Amino acid sequence: MATDSEMVFVLPGDGIDASLIPTHPKRPLRLGPGLRHIPPSTIVPTIAGQLVTDHKKNSLWVEYNGGRYIPAVGDLVIGQVDRSAADFYYVALSDYSSNASLPQLAFEMATKKTRPNLATGALVYARVSLANRHMDPELECVNSSTGKADGLGPLVGGMLYSISLGMARRLLMRKSVEEGRVVVLEELGALGLAFETAVGRNGKMWVNSEDTKTVLIVGRAVKETDEGNLTVDQQKKLVRKLVKEMS
Amino acid sequence: MAHTIAVPGQLLGPADQYVAGAGTHIHESNLYSSLLGTVAVVQPEKAPGPAKRLTKISALQTPATLPTISVSRTGISERREVLPEVGNTVLCRVTRIQPRQATVAILVVGETVLEAEWQGVIRVQDVRATEKDRVKIYESFRPGDIVRAHVISLGDQANYYLSTASNELGVIMAMSEAGNVMYPVSWKEYRDAETGLSESRKVAKPF
Repeated sequence: MATDSEMVFVLPGDGIDASLIPTHPKRPLRLGPGLRHIPPSTIVPTIAGQLVTDHKKNSLWVEYNGGRYIPAVGDLVIGQVDRSAADFYYVALSDYSSNASLPQLAFEMATKKTRPNLATGALVYARVSLANRHMDPELECVNSSTGKADGLGPLVGGMLYSISLGMARRLLMRKSVEEGRVVVLEELGALGLAFETAVGRNGKMWVNSEDTKTVLIVGRAVKETDEGNLTVDQQKKLVRKLVKEMS
Repeated sequence: MAHTIAVPGQLLGPADQYVAGAGTHIHESNLYSSLLGTVAVVQPEKAPGPAKRLTKISALQTPATLPTISVSRTGISERREVLPEVGNTVLCRVTRIQPRQATVAILVVGETVLEAEWQGVIRVQDVRATEKDRVKIYESFRPGDIVRAHVISLGDQANYYLSTASNELGVIMAMSEAGNVMYPVSWKEYRDAETGLSESRKVAKPF
């Protein structure tokens, strides 16, 4: 994604200039989140944000931040167990939304006799397996085709931080340093801090380390980057400042 | 028995002269009316007598020879309240879907449109006759669909239990996500007439 010299911002319902829509000799145009296709040839933004194009993949979408998390199939999320009923855990993904259900057998190596032991309030890293606007979402902690957990399951210890949805998206990008422009985690690692993180697309980040101070530094660094909308240089300065303060 | 209107508790006749029909009950060998309505006496059909048999054993005054007395409300008010019974085919509208059942509002019983909507439930194991354990409610019904179903049980205080486990049962009318009317293409697919997109449903075989 090349940095455009001028960024295009759209509001819901705006018309999109035909020159902004990418064309490709072979690939069909793919619309990402925030855009709606009204046949035959109208494309309308449904959310306010920056219109982004990818000419290589011939796709068009709207980058936006904020709002409530809407579950989508395949998303990785961090939830908190609200209560456990027969065969299901009810997991809260966001405040003031219905709980998602997580079957007790959707864990690696879980059988009817050996079930996972999750108490109320426990954190769990899961993937959304069913999400539509008519039903409550459903989660799973195992890859249903392979049977492996792939890092999903209960998160023990550590601390949970709430971050904005846009920040969670940037952290979850494959190239979070170049494209997401989040360098705090790399910088903190380079300075010798040992920690592990898990990011949920529902705006939650979990940090764990042997040293409590490390957990606090990492959490603060990400939160201040998020709230202050810091650039890469500002992030580096912030990291140095935090490490100096806390040591 | 010249009474044409009976009130609840009214004596209709002795139980050895009449057979108790609908709207009546027997108390101490007498027939009493249970409803406010008109009394109807139905004479039994004359069964064709068998050829004379010397050793025929028959009960004294068999019920087939007695007239049936019944009380019905239709004489008083013309509207009849039809209730869904087990085995009836009903039309209903899906109001809510959950992972293990779909909640519906029963609108039509047989050919009669109901005054009040009764609530029914289609459990996930009653959606299809085959592969019952792999049914996904989201791919069978959506809120707002009109469904033809059979009543399988009168259920509990809140719900009737319905089933769509047959070829001619299932969704008969559905709207797409875009808001257009859809037409069926197979037993599990409806297609939007305008956008051409398909949606999964448990489709009833059209007549």
